[in-house]
Amino acid sequence: MTGRIRAILRLFAVQGTWNYERMLGVGMGYAAEPLLEDLKAVDPVRHGEAVARSAEFFNCNPNLAGLALGATTRAEYEAVPGPQIVRFRTALCSPLGAMGDELFWAGLVPALVGAALAGVVLGAGWWAIAGFIFVYNGIRLWTSYWSLRVGMQSGMRVGAAIGASWLPRAIRRVGPAAAFAIGAAIPLVAAWYLKPFGWSAGVGAAGVAVAGIALTRWFAPFLTAIRFALAAMIFLLILRRVGV
Amino acid sequence: MTELSAQVLILILVWGTLVGLDLVSVPQAMISRPLVAGTVAGWLTGDVHTGLRIGVLFELFALDVLPVGAVKYPDYGPATVAAVVLGTGSIWQLSLGLSVALGLVLALLGGWSLQVVRRWNARAIQRRAAALAAGESNAIRRLQYGGLLRDALRGFILTLVGVVLALLLKDGVRLDDQTHLALTLVAIGSALAAAANGAFRSSGRNARLKWLAAGVGAGVLLAALA
Repeated sequence: MTGRIRAILRLFAVQGTWNYERMLGVGMGYAAEPLLEDLKAVDPVRHGEAVARSAEFFNCNPNLAGLALGATTRAEYEAVPGPQIVRFRTALCSPLGAMGDELFWAGLVPALVGAALAGVVLGAGWWAIAGFIFVYNGIRLWTSYWSLRVGMQSGMRVGAAIGASWLPRAIRRVGPAAAFAIGAAIPLVAAWYLKPFGWSAGVGAAGVAVAGIALTRWFAPFLTAIRFALAAMIFLLILRRVGV
Repeated sequence: MTELSAQVLILILVWGTLVGLDLVSVPQAMISRPLVAGTVAGWLTGDVHTGLRIGVLFELFALDVLPVGAVKYPDYGPATVAAVVLGTGSIWQLSLGLSVALGLVLALLGGWSLQVVRRWNARAIQRRAAALAAGESNAIRRLQYGGLLRDALRGFILTLVGVVLALLLKDGVRLDDQTHLALTLVAIGSALAAAANGAFRSSGRNARLKWLAAGVGAGVLLAALA
């Protein structure tokens, strides 16, 4: 197995040692190890320094971590001064975090979850869930491969490579798709649950939903959705106990 | 009420552990999404229908979570698995509310346990700070495997606690059918509120809001036709 494939596989565990001090740092060091192996024979001192740098503080969306990993690895092989690599790596945190979160957590995942929910309630069952898993992981695997390749090719010029890539366009397109899919899924799921109960029960559940939306907005961040749900259930049990 | 065999419970514990690991550590393949975790748990317990009903409901709660940066969030995966164990073999209209109540408590516990593991990881890193500064690859590997092990342990304990509570509640809770039905309706209403809040928040006030409205329109139309 080549170093690059091992690095891609290790990137799937890049958050394995997530903590509030180095965040993804140690996971990045773990993924960098196979890529830095060749440096050991050429310059053992530089290799030790590169390994130490690879495990320092780093944070971004895990699916785009390959861009930073590839770029900093190339910079190590090009003998870019260490402090410059550290500054470069730190500078990549925010843009890779923001872009990855927009693309995956606020875009692709809700879009596919919305589609899967709609598929399930319309009768697709397992196929909808399998489709979600296969499509998401296919895109993710390809993104990991692409990220590492572009990072390794571009080195310190990775910012320009990202700007010229498909990434900014995809981010613009996936947001509306996510909004549409979730928007369509919510009434479908509501009907799926409430149809067997009849109108009066549906109105009751809708009342709980409206109260939940209003109260969790007014009393945010203290009153989360979970706290509201548990409080409403406890309130209901008390009402039932006193005979209402 | 369906009795679950020891083999099924072991499979559930393994599945819950994998689901717990998937959320953050490895491989983030989305098996920790409640929709997936619940359906597979239902398949393991022999009640896919209940797994789907519970999984879809927790998925609505999960839509309220945007796991960006260092934000703290609940862990719905093992919680959904345990909720399915509680709901298995029962009529979903009667069991959904209590299952969701158990799952929500476990999701909060799961969120707290993530913080514990993160602090535990930080302490392990501090202990090996000198080796890390010296660029020792072995130290990085040990820390990484340790982190994964800690998270697997977290997922296992969370699922175990959830399954034990589910089995206790299965036999121990005596509520009349009306109360069960009302709990289910409160759970559905709360989940819809969570999903709607998540959708509004991620749409903001820009063009995404129009797409959200268009999606709602399409969903209402499809629901009417279905």
